[in-house]
Amino acid sequence: MDDLNLLGPQLALLIGAGLIIIVDLLLPIVSRQAYQGRLPLLSGLALLAAAGSLGWSLALVLTDERGEAFDGMISVDDFTLFFNFLFAAVAGAIVLGSVDYLARHRFQGEYLALILIAAAGMSLMAAGTDLIMIFIALELQAIALFALVGISKNESGSEATLKFLLLSAISTAITLYGMAYLFGLSGETSLDGIASYVANTDENRSALVLAAVFLTAGLGFKMAVVPFQMWVPDVYEGAPTPITAFLSVASKAAGFAVVMRIFLAALGEGLITTDWAYLFAAIAAVSMTLGNVLALVQGNIKRMLGYSSIAQAGTILIGLAAVAAEDPQLLLGTSSVVFFLGAYAFTNIGAFIAIIAISHKIGSDQIADYAGVAKRSPLLAFALAACLFSLTGFPPTAGFIAKIYVFNAAVQADLVWLAIIGVLNSVISAYYYLRVVLNMFARDPETDEAFTPSPYLGAALAAAVVGLFAIGIYPTPLIEASESAARVFS
Amino acid sequence: MLPDWGQVGFLLLIAIMFPIGGIGSSWLLGRIRMRPDYPDRIKEDTYECGVETEGPTWVQFNFRYYYFALLFVIFDVEAVFLYPYAVSGERLVVVGLIEMLTFVGILFIGLLYAWRKNALEWT
Repeated sequence: MDDLNLLGPQLALLIGAGLIIIVDLLLPIVSRQAYQGRLPLLSGLALLAAAGSLGWSLALVLTDERGEAFDGMISVDDFTLFFNFLFAAVAGAIVLGSVDYLARHRFQGEYLALILIAAAGMSLMAAGTDLIMIFIALELQAIALFALVGISKNESGSEATLKFLLLSAISTAITLYGMAYLFGLSGETSLDGIASYVANTDENRSALVLAAVFLTAGLGFKMAVVPFQMWVPDVYEGAPTPITAFLSVASKAAGFAVVMRIFLAALGEGLITTDWAYLFAAIAAVSMTLGNVLALVQGNIKRMLGYSSIAQAGTILIGLAAVAAEDPQLLLGTSSVVFFLGAYAFTNIGAFIAIIAISHKIGSDQIADYAGVAKRSPLLAFALAACLFSLTGFPPTAGFIAKIYVFNAAVQADLVWLAIIGVLNSVISAYYYLRVVLNMFARDPETDEAFTPSPYLGAALAAAVVGLFAIGIYPTPLIEASESAARVFS
Repeated sequence: MLPDWGQVGFLLLIAIMFPIGGIGSSWLLGRIRMRPDYPDRIKEDTYECGVETEGPTWVQFNFRYYYFALLFVIFDVEAVFLYPYAVSGERLVVVGLIEMLTFVGILFIGLLYAWRKNALEWT
């Protein structure tokens, strides 16, 4: 039973998903009319599951329950709990952000259940301490996401799904090959076992490097960093916008969580660390630059945010690259990555929900059509502007603190050149983020007709914007949470 | 390392040569008329596990077979898990029973889904 208690946050999500499917299936037998109006009931159940997951995580924190479960397959520690909170909260926000989209959609039950299943898979990815568990969790979220990307069954959605499916399958194969190398060398699938092998041997270093490269390539797909970013713009554009938000925040954070788990817990000792730290530094520099330069020329705001998310992933990778070179007691690199993921979740969810609300009303995803939105809906324009400022890294937003944190880690780790590239890239990114803001505030709209977001979108957006200012003004609680999460790997 | 792989490569070579040798020598012997060549209808019949074929063999299979294939895989896997459980069921007592019922319950939701979405109906 202790095992089940530790797994509670994920179980709450999965039970919620099961209930939603059963209700969605059996409701038409009870009453046709109730089935037509099932959306509030189903989204209420989904929110309840997310809230239950958050509550259970909180209970684990308050009762100070920590430890391994299921014979070392998963470990519930501060790192896992941080991501449990993150994924459950993001799933809740996505459910709120999807209500408008779902109102004119057939597969309501499937959609909501798949979101919860994907969130459970992601938080199992963060919790997994065994290669087999990590792989199953990876597949659990990936398969749920395939269906979600193509759920609208239109042409661009199907194209996006096929690209996502094929490239994801290849990346999974590469990840598995890397895992097979680790298992072949050490004879262990548990991360602890691999860590003790890596720490106690000087042989086979080139094979270990090869395994690290394979894992980086396979998981780089999940993190969406260059050169594994090809799928991002098309999939982000073709998927329903709430799912794009889910991919860009939760799926990416889950990728980083797994990378941190594997590289810090299993490959964190010995000579191998310097090898992969330089690998990450190079990927970070290329991702930031390429993502930002390509975002400059985009006309579609979803594509623009797709490229910008590649650049943001590059910035987060700076923190990982800074892990190896620094004093292990400081843990600045790891905690900066965790902090950045938390701050980025608020910011990007906010940005996407604002876009859902605006695009739904103006009927276009083109940046040019955002002209004069501030005159028609001042609050929405302000919220989107706040999120874009945070993505650029202006004070007093969460993005500012996150970037300072990451660049500081790079400087402490003697990666000054990487920090300089990061700062230069922030300057480039200001151009395309602020272009949207300028479009909304400085230009005149074609009509003066005012509009407001639906209450669901409004609630999610308000939570995100309040969160990003709260973190920007008083970051201490989140910093402390990230530091205790990072301490798991010391 | 290399000698081990060399043996695998040698086996692979034999595996490739075996069918090529059989088909090639038959063709060659036919060309120089050392192999008898009396085709008739029964010899050229489609071979399907020894059962006589009904009608033309190049028929298209109904696309909807994949529903049944998927459902079959699900319950095949269920059976695979149920056998080892049944063998050690006495030692697993109540916890094992609950775990197995949970597993079957999850699969049952899948069957329920297939049923409600009319995947079990042919027309």
